[in-house]
Amino acid sequence: MEQWIALLLLISAIWLLQIRKISDSVPILAFQSLVLALTAGAMWYQTKLSHLLVAALLTLVVKAMIIPAILHYTIKKIDVHRQVERVTSKYAALLIATILSVAGFYVTSRLHLPSTKFGEPYLPVSITFVFLGAFIMIDHKKALMQGIGLITIENGLFLVAQSISYGMPMMVELGIFFDMLVTVVIIGILSFRIHSTFESLNIEKMSNLKG
Amino acid sequence: MGEVSLLLIIPLVTAVLCWKINVRVGEKLQVITTLFNVVVGLFIAKTVFFHAPITGWHRLIYIDALSAFNILLIVLIGFVASLYSVGYMNHEVAEKIIGDNKVRHYYLWFHLFLGTMLAVSVVNNLGFLWVGIELTTLVSALLVAFYRKGTSLEAAWKYLIMGSVGIAFALLGIIFLYLSGGDLFGESTDALNWTVLHQAAKHLNPQWTLIAFIFVLVGFGTKAGLAPMHFWLPDAHSQAPSPVSAVLSGVLLNTALYGIFRIYTITNTTLDGKAAPYLIVFGLFSIAITVPFMLVQHDLKRMLAYSSVEHMGIITLGVGIGGALGLYGAVLHMFHHSMAKSLLFFTAGNITQNYHSKRMERISGVLKTMPITGSIFLIAAFAITGTPPFNVFVSEFTIMRAGFQSGHFVATVSFLLFVVLIFSGMMYYVVRMAFGEAPTKVEKKEMNRWSTAALFIPLIAVIVFGLYVPPFFQEVIQQVTVVLQGGKL
Repeated sequence: MEQWIALLLLISAIWLLQIRKISDSVPILAFQSLVLALTAGAMWYQTKLSHLLVAALLTLVVKAMIIPAILHYTIKKIDVHRQVERVTSKYAALLIATILSVAGFYVTSRLHLPSTKFGEPYLPVSITFVFLGAFIMIDHKKALMQGIGLITIENGLFLVAQSISYGMPMMVELGIFFDMLVTVVIIGILSFRIHSTFESLNIEKMSNLKG
Repeated sequence: MGEVSLLLIIPLVTAVLCWKINVRVGEKLQVITTLFNVVVGLFIAKTVFFHAPITGWHRLIYIDALSAFNILLIVLIGFVASLYSVGYMNHEVAEKIIGDNKVRHYYLWFHLFLGTMLAVSVVNNLGFLWVGIELTTLVSALLVAFYRKGTSLEAAWKYLIMGSVGIAFALLGIIFLYLSGGDLFGESTDALNWTVLHQAAKHLNPQWTLIAFIFVLVGFGTKAGLAPMHFWLPDAHSQAPSPVSAVLSGVLLNTALYGIFRIYTITNTTLDGKAAPYLIVFGLFSIAITVPFMLVQHDLKRMLAYSSVEHMGIITLGVGIGGALGLYGAVLHMFHHSMAKSLLFFTAGNITQNYHSKRMERISGVLKTMPITGSIFLIAAFAITGTPPFNVFVSEFTIMRAGFQSGHFVATVSFLLFVVLIFSGMMYYVVRMAFGEAPTKVEKKEMNRWSTAALFIPLIAVIVFGLYVPPFFQEVIQQVTVVLQGGKL
């Protein structure tokens, strides 16, 4: 069961590298967060630790609903339903993502990370998420997509914390959720301003500062 | 505990008030409230330094000498910057670069920014420390983007992305630290309280604390502008409005270092001193990387930003060298750098406003056009490069002595070499700007009295502390040093 959920998470992250329009990323991200909520929910069901339920619900509300809504609103306002721009080709991106996933699983197996009983299956995926999130940030040229890569990294860290210690203490978890929310709002504001100034979200236009 | 609540609430209330009320009233009000916060900060410092650390709110708040020292720097530089902002923003409005509406937004974000930094300094829990440092990035990114020009948006975006990714690594580090004490404390929230971790430091799992420390060093190091994670820093600091640059360089970087040092004191105890070499390497590398960039600069504020990379390196080096003397020098250097660098950014703000350019080749004869700003600029530039008899020299000399005493010959000699190179690079540009004939179209005037008055507070510190460090201040620094050594709680 856990393996299947982990696989779904992995697919969602690789999928983000294969989209054609920026707006496609929003439902994928919502799906990713939904599965993430599911992992926390499943762990709560198995361990009955109440803070995992809170984490699951918060993930559902904040990450699967509010954050996609903000991103959707931003994209609509900027009106960038256009194609994504990548550094690599779609196929090269898929190849690199596969290599990174294998690397993630390999690194995790070598690190001997301690893990909790029910979180163990997610551990390799969580590390892979950090790798893939970073790759999304590097591969995509649109500013907004870097924000999405960042969210993927944060999702990975959330999963790391869950798999190795059933999450951080609840108060801290709340703080991190709040941070995420503010981050996405500010990414939205800045993307909007970047788009209205440069008439593009392509970060290659932003290369005037050097030295 | 009342004073701690006040300390945190005042910036929040000020932010909202300045945003909602008339600009002319708001700008004066915020000077008064930040001054009031200086009083609150001094009161807290007095309690901490003369009695005992402050704890409260179910042990979520913990203020010891190190926190109190950081709080003092924030409220002090915060006050001077808010005083300076009045003049700076009035000038921008008069020049029709921005409207009154934007000034209100400026004060809103500026005071929230001060508030987040204060919050970072008072929390006990490392998780909240992380949340706080991330919030400082988010709030100040909007200040960097304030002018909404292409370059400022570029800088803000780079800052936001690099800052957030860096800090994600720090979170991973904190998760590992939580893990390293996992067997000892179980699932409680207290397991991330640094007082708890600090007391248990000897019993933490060394393998995990080492990994945790490296992640935290890279993560918060990005925020502190340590090379090679410093790339966002020159952009952000040069594009932000000058009072914001002063706060970014003067205290935000210190706050990020504060995060590193908090975790360093724990991990260095666990690892029996094996964490220190990492600080020495990162510190030296940051100083070294400044040298070439200092020599090829064209932009005044960029040059000052690179100098901040250097000084963060020096502080890190000082803590890495360690021992009572090295730590003393490092803490003293934190204070001296804050004063001298914020002073430099304030004078640079005045200069760029009068010359309408940040490009150094277009700036000359500052001493003639702006006698007060010009001479203070020259003093501050001499101070920041470590020239006697100014304050930075004292702390750099102390770190050097500590380096030789503790046998770090290679590190100390290269430190000296880099500092000399940076001195000559920076002075080449500064002297050309200060002396010579002014371009004809530049008016001979001082900026308004707000932005001139603000210069004198850090100036006093720069000059007085160069000549002698008052005994009570030595005592204060000693106490911070004890905390950094992992001493009493």
